[in-house]
Amino acid sequence: MGKTILTARHITKLFPGMKALDNVDFDLREGEVHILVGENGAGKSTLAKVILGAYKAEEGEVTFDNQIVKFNGTKEALAKGIVAVYQEFTLVPHISVAQNIFLNREYRTKLGLIDHKRMEKEARELMKSLNCEYIDVKSHVKNLSVAEQQMVEIAKALSFKPRIMVFDEPTATLSEREVDSLFAQIHRLKKEGIGIIYVSHRMQEFPLIGDRITILRDGVKINTVGIDECTNEELVNMMVGRDVSQVYVRTENKHSDIALRTENLCDHRGKVRNVNLEVRRGEIVGIAGLVGAGRTETAELLYGIQPIKSGEVYVNEKKVSPKSPKHATELGIGLVSEDRKRQGLALDESVALNTVAVSLKQIFPKFFISNKKITEIALDYKKQLRIATTSVNKACKYLSGGNQQKVVLAKWLSFNPDILIFDEPTRGIDVAAKMEIYGLMDKLASEGKAIIMISSELPEVIGMSDRIYIMHEGTIVDEVTRGSEEFNSESIGARMMLGSGGAENAES
Amino acid sequence: MQKVNAVQNNTGQSASVLQRIKRVPPVAYMLIVIIAAFSFMDPHYLSFSNFRNVLIQATPLMIVAFGQTCIVLTQGTDLSLGAQVSFVTVFTVFLAQRGIILEVAMLISIVCTMLIGALNGLIVAKGNIPPFIATYGMQNIVNSISLLLTAGSSIFYSSFTYRVVTETTILFIPLMVWVAAAVFIVVWIVLRKTKFGTNIYGLGGNREALVLAGISPVKCLIKTYAFAGMIAGIAGVITLCRVESGQPIVATGWEFQAVAATLLGGTSLREGKGGVTGTIFGVLLIRIIKNGLNVIGVQSIFQNAIIGSIVLAAIIIDAVVRIRSKE
Repeated sequence: MGKTILTARHITKLFPGMKALDNVDFDLREGEVHILVGENGAGKSTLAKVILGAYKAEEGEVTFDNQIVKFNGTKEALAKGIVAVYQEFTLVPHISVAQNIFLNREYRTKLGLIDHKRMEKEARELMKSLNCEYIDVKSHVKNLSVAEQQMVEIAKALSFKPRIMVFDEPTATLSEREVDSLFAQIHRLKKEGIGIIYVSHRMQEFPLIGDRITILRDGVKINTVGIDECTNEELVNMMVGRDVSQVYVRTENKHSDIALRTENLCDHRGKVRNVNLEVRRGEIVGIAGLVGAGRTETAELLYGIQPIKSGEVYVNEKKVSPKSPKHATELGIGLVSEDRKRQGLALDESVALNTVAVSLKQIFPKFFISNKKITEIALDYKKQLRIATTSVNKACKYLSGGNQQKVVLAKWLSFNPDILIFDEPTRGIDVAAKMEIYGLMDKLASEGKAIIMISSELPEVIGMSDRIYIMHEGTIVDEVTRGSEEFNSESIGARMMLGSGGAENAES
Repeated sequence: MQKVNAVQNNTGQSASVLQRIKRVPPVAYMLIVIIAAFSFMDPHYLSFSNFRNVLIQATPLMIVAFGQTCIVLTQGTDLSLGAQVSFVTVFTVFLAQRGIILEVAMLISIVCTMLIGALNGLIVAKGNIPPFIATYGMQNIVNSISLLLTAGSSIFYSSFTYRVVTETTILFIPLMVWVAAAVFIVVWIVLRKTKFGTNIYGLGGNREALVLAGISPVKCLIKTYAFAGMIAGIAGVITLCRVESGQPIVATGWEFQAVAATLLGGTSLREGKGGVTGTIFGVLLIRIIKNGLNVIGVQSIFQNAIIGSIVLAAIIIDAVVRIRSKE
C-alpha cells in the first residue's frame, strides 16, 4: 500500500437543521480503493463532496500531499487532480465523445476554432489506456450504451490526470457484465497509484474491489476497517446501529390455492417464451435471472403493459387476459415496478395523492373526492410503513429512495390486490429500508397474498422466496424450492448464467 | 431521423458511401419527391428562373431559421424573431428618415435585435421561464414598438443600397442569397467548431454537464438568444432591401415557419440534437411547396392547409420513428 495522499481531519459540515458530518476523519492512500459506506443520509456523499471541493466544511481540515488545502469549488480540487466520476451521467448526448471529454477545455486551432483532430487523437489514447478502443471517439455519446458512456466518464476523469478519483454509486445503472468491466478498470487505476474513493451500499461488491471500508452513520464515522477484517453482518450492524442478523424474515405459513398461473406465456418481442409459473396464496415466489432474461417482461405481460402473444393466464383458476394495467388491477394484480421514479410514482405529486392513486375509485365510488379523507388514509400508511416525511402533502421527489419505495407500497396496500409483483423492490435503497420492505412482504404473504419477487440480488431472492424460478433468455429453465439442495446462490447463479438444468420448459 | 445530425458532426474519413447516404436528412428525400411531383404536374415548373425565384423568396426566412435552429437546439423557441425582422425594417427607415446614413442605421438596428435577444435570454435563463412564454411577451412588445414608430402604416426612405443587395448578382445568384450562405457558414462553424456551439448542444442535451464543467448556462443562453437576434437583424436588413420600406408586420409568423423548418430539418425540440444543414432543406421544402402550389394554380386558402398538413405529417413521422427506435 502506498503513502497517504489525502487526509481529512475533524470534518464537520452543517446543513440547515442538521449535522451532515460530525467530526469525521478520513484518509486515502495511493493505489487503494477506500469504500465509503452508510445508509442514505449517513453523510457519505457529503464527505465525498467536501473532498471534491463542492461543499465547504464548517470545521476541520483537509490535507493533500501533506499540505493543508482549502478548495473554493470543484475547479480548484480538479487542478490538484481530485476528480469525480458521477453517478448520473454528465455527458452531452449529441456532441462527440472527444468533445465531451474535453468539454470547456477544448483544444483550439490558431484561428480559435475547436481542434477536433487533436482532441480526437488524445481521446483515442485515453480510450486505449482503458482498453476501450472499440468506442469511436467521433460518435455521439447518445449512440453509446450505458456502460460505454460510463467509460467515457472515466476517460473524462482520467484526462485531468487525477491522483484521486471519487466514484459515487457507479454500478447503480450497470448490468453485471458491465460491472465486471468497470471493476477491471478500477483495478487498473489502482495499479497506477491513483487513490480511489468508492461510495456504495452494494455490499457484495466490496470484497471484489475494496481495500478499506469506512462506515458512516448519521454523519458520524463509526469505524474504518480493512476489507478482510469484518463480515458483512458486522458491517450492516455498524451501518444501521443495531443487530441485523435477521435481514431476511420469513414466517412459516400455509400456502393455499393457486392465485396466479400461466401456461406457455409468450410475448410479441420474443423476450418471454413459453413461461409456465404459478403462485399460491401465502407464497413468495422469486424469479431469478440475468438482466435481459425476460423477468421484467414477464411481469409486464401479467400486468397488461405488453400484449400477450400466446399462452394463458389464470387468476384463481379462471382464464383471464390482462389487456391493460387498469384491467390487471381489476383482476387483483398489482405491480411494484422496477423504475419507481418513472413508473411507480408521480414524483411531483404529494405523498397523499400517490398513496391513493390506484385506490381512488374504491375509496370514492361517487363523483367527488375528499382531500381530508385522502390525507387521513395517507397519514395512516405513513405511520404504518414509517414513511419519513414531514408532511404527506410533500411532493414525492423530495423523499429518499427508500421512502419513495414505501409510498409505492402504500399505494398498493391501500388498493389491496390479491397478487403483487415486486420488480427489484429494493434497488437503490438503504439497508434499513430494505429490511422494512422485506418485513412487509413477509407480512403480506402471511395475510394470504400471492407474491412474485423479481430481483437481481440473489441473496434477497434466496432470503425471501419459498420457491425460485430461474429464467434464462426468456424461458424458465429451472425451479428450486426452499429446503432443497439446490436452494443456494452457487447453484442458482450457475443456472442463471448457463441456462442449463431442468429442461422441461426449455424445449422452445 | 436519428442520423440526421451526423451529417454535420462527423468529418468521417472512414464513412462508406452507404453510411453517407443514410446520413442525408429524410427531408431532403421529401424535397426530391415533391419537386418531381410538381414537375410532373406542370412541365414549366422545372426551370432555372423558377428555382432562382424560390431561392430569392426563401432567403429572409432561411436566415431567420438558421438563428431559430440555434434556439431550438437549446430546447427553446424564440417567438420574437419575426417581430425582430419587422422591427429592423421599421427602425432602420425611421433612423434614416432622421438623417442617419442608411448603412449605419442598419447596423444600429442589428445591434438592437442583438440586445432584444440578450434580454430574451436573460429572462429565460434567470427567471427560468419557458422560452415560449418569455419570447411571446417580447414579440408583442417589439410589435408594439414597430407600430408606434410607424403609426401603423409603412414608412419609406429611398436609397440605391436596396437594389445593390437585391440585384447585384454573382454567378447569376443575387447578393442577398450569398449573404444567407455566409450566415449559414458562420452558424455551421459556430455549432461545430467553437466552444459556444458545443455549449449550445450542452444546453439542450445536459445542462448539468455544463455546470460541472464550469460553464454558466445562464451566460450561454443569453449568448444564444443574442446570436439568434443578430441573425434576425441580418434577415431584417435583407427584408428591408426587398420591400424598400419599413413595414411593421412584414415578417409576422416567420418565427413559426422557422420553427417548422427547423423541425422538418431534423433538429429535435427535446435533447439538443440536430443542426443547421437540415434547416436549409426544411425552409426549401416549405417554400417549394408554396411555390409549386402557386405554379399549378392552387388557391391560396388551400395552400396553408396543405403546408400545415405536410408539417404535421413530417413531425408525426419523426415521432413514430423515434418511438420505434426506442423499442
